[in-house]
Amino acid sequence: MKNKELSFWLFITPVVLSLSLVVIVPVLMGLFYSFTNWNGLTFTEIVGFDHYKRLLGDTNFRDSLWFTFKFAFVSVIVLNIIGLGLALMVTSKMKTNNILRTIFFMPNLIGGLILGFIWQFIFVRVFAAVGDFTGIEGLMGWLSTSTTGFWGLVILTVWQQAGYIMIIYIAYLQGIPKELIESANIDGASPFQKFRYIIFPLLAPGFTVSMFLTLSTSFKIYDQNLSLTGGGPFNSTQMVAMNIVDTAFSSNQMAYGQSKAVIFFIIVAIFSLTQVYYSKKREVDL
Amino acid sequence: MFSKSYFYKGIVLLSATGLLAACGSDDGSSGSGGDGGSGEQIELDIMQGKVEFNEQFNELAQMYMDENPNVSINITSVGGGTDYFTQLTTRFSSGDEPDIFSVAGPEQMEKMSEYMADLSDTDAADKALEGMLDQVSQDDGTVDALPYNIEGYGFIYNKNIFEEAGIDAEEIMTYEDLESAVQTLSDQADELGIEAPFAFPGAEGWVPGDHLANVYLSHEFDENVNNAYNAETLEFENGDQFKRMLDLQVEYSVEPVLSLDYSQQVEEYFSLGQVAMIQQGNWVYPTLEQMDPELAENGVGMIPIPLEGHEGELPVGIPNFWAVNGNKDDAVVQEAKDFLDWMYLSEEGKEFVINEFNFIPAYEGYEDLEIGDPLSQVVYEYSQSGDTIGWIFNGYPSGYTNNEFGPNIQAYIAGEMTWDEMIDESISAWESLQ
Repeated sequence: MKNKELSFWLFITPVVLSLSLVVIVPVLMGLFYSFTNWNGLTFTEIVGFDHYKRLLGDTNFRDSLWFTFKFAFVSVIVLNIIGLGLALMVTSKMKTNNILRTIFFMPNLIGGLILGFIWQFIFVRVFAAVGDFTGIEGLMGWLSTSTTGFWGLVILTVWQQAGYIMIIYIAYLQGIPKELIESANIDGASPFQKFRYIIFPLLAPGFTVSMFLTLSTSFKIYDQNLSLTGGGPFNSTQMVAMNIVDTAFSSNQMAYGQSKAVIFFIIVAIFSLTQVYYSKKREVDL
Repeated sequence: MFSKSYFYKGIVLLSATGLLAACGSDDGSSGSGGDGGSGEQIELDIMQGKVEFNEQFNELAQMYMDENPNVSINITSVGGGTDYFTQLTTRFSSGDEPDIFSVAGPEQMEKMSEYMADLSDTDAADKALEGMLDQVSQDDGTVDALPYNIEGYGFIYNKNIFEEAGIDAEEIMTYEDLESAVQTLSDQADELGIEAPFAFPGAEGWVPGDHLANVYLSHEFDENVNNAYNAETLEFENGDQFKRMLDLQVEYSVEPVLSLDYSQQVEEYFSLGQVAMIQQGNWVYPTLEQMDPELAENGVGMIPIPLEGHEGELPVGIPNFWAVNGNKDDAVVQEAKDFLDWMYLSEEGKEFVINEFNFIPAYEGYEDLEIGDPLSQVVYEYSQSGDTIGWIFNGYPSGYTNNEFGPNIQAYIAGEMTWDEMIDESISAWESLQ
């Protein structure tokens, strides 16, 4: 690039400036604070790796990390299956396609907090009422045990985000050349064979994007967690993000919370990057 | 070619000037706001954490401004204990310090101590009821903060249901009395049309962790919140009584306890008459009044939670205090003090505090006024007669109820922990947080 002259720098300055002001500088400051006894206002000494050592023995943090892993694992799989299923459904030849797309996408427009309260009502009241009426024990007392809390969160997340993932898959599905499908038809491929050997491999870039999105959002979920279960009962459905917020803002251990956040950042980064790397390798070029 | 590059540079220049202009005008406005105090004009910036009475508080401030045209008051109310304090510290760290702010509990006071002006020369400090300033007074006679109001909790019961069941609530003194009353209620649940005697909100860690536990822990710390705040550990001397009261409430509560929350407890179950009693405080009154004015006015009462050797004592405490920022100019500090005095001691102020805030006053001079609602009256009577149990839960290590004690109690209710495990865990959590 030869034309890196004044106008080039002027153009990128706003981006570089705002990016460093709101992302890079805070991250570096946060990293630094995690090595001090910062209390949100000031710090008096640098404590080195003390917070990180303490983290190793913190069972609450470990539990919430484990819960988050389980949650992310299940919700990534379910989300992608359902998202792809919806996408295949609305790209097939049906009259109601456009309405369906809108309907499936709509939950994504509602804020996580409100969704949490809506689903809390559904799980606690509607489920109980239906359970009362039909005598199905499994519908009673939702969200009052860790298992129902876990599945409640999965259902909520999937319901909210499946429409978004659907849109991504639709885009990739529509990008698949018609000729390939047609020639497969001529060769007499069954619908399953078409899906398995033509559509699926060509969707790989879509998987990369969707997996990355679902994985990173599932890890970082906070508002749905807060309003649906609030971490209860007995903090057994507390995810890492919530654990960090509680440490920092309700126990007022800012620096310790910050060190948890640093660890969490590293974990999420490792998972997402590994996933993207391997998914990328599977992509086929036409 | 040339014209194109000039065009881009022109845009860049334009946007750059726009940006600069925006910054400039921002600076200008905040500057003029700060030094607008020519003459006697005084601005009082108030930040407080009791969001429920924000509207009424603003009305009161307006009344004060009408009387004192040289004062303008600007109120920020932030809800929920922890959120408030985070925002308060943020404002202090960013230099945008309020002139009057609220503090709750010893930890917040310790953190803000360097900012809190001495209020011992205010009339309000002079007129505070006995014992109300204990936790904010220093040995040298300075007073760091002034109480908002008094609050108290116990078992709030539905008079109609009790009457129908043939129970006289006034006679319930000991645990055994309460147990047999609960048994009676439970036996007649169908005839009384209630789902259960209690609605116990297991989803809210603070109901068992702060309030119920306080009854059984308070005397360990001589009923003094500062002792709890400074305590290295705790004993649970009355742990057995705590256990049986918790068990009683859980056993005779609407199911499922662990997903039952505060609003279900108060709005759905109690105010609609589906349960006979709930463990709550006088702060539920406005909600009850909204749901069923008739019931709220004539149908509810409050009795203490029985503690052996201290039967008939109601847990009463001061949740919030006012502090004045001592970093400000003397004139502002004086005006802040005057405002607080006026609010609690002037005739208009008193009337407003009682009738609009629905506060139970912590000050003298309210003898002629009638305390607003029946629950507050009960609390006021107990605090007048001194049959009280001090609140110590504000002295818990911060986050103790939210992150440790509350979840442990929930785990016990769910059967995930035995009682002894719960106690051991909670003690070691206290020790590690202190």
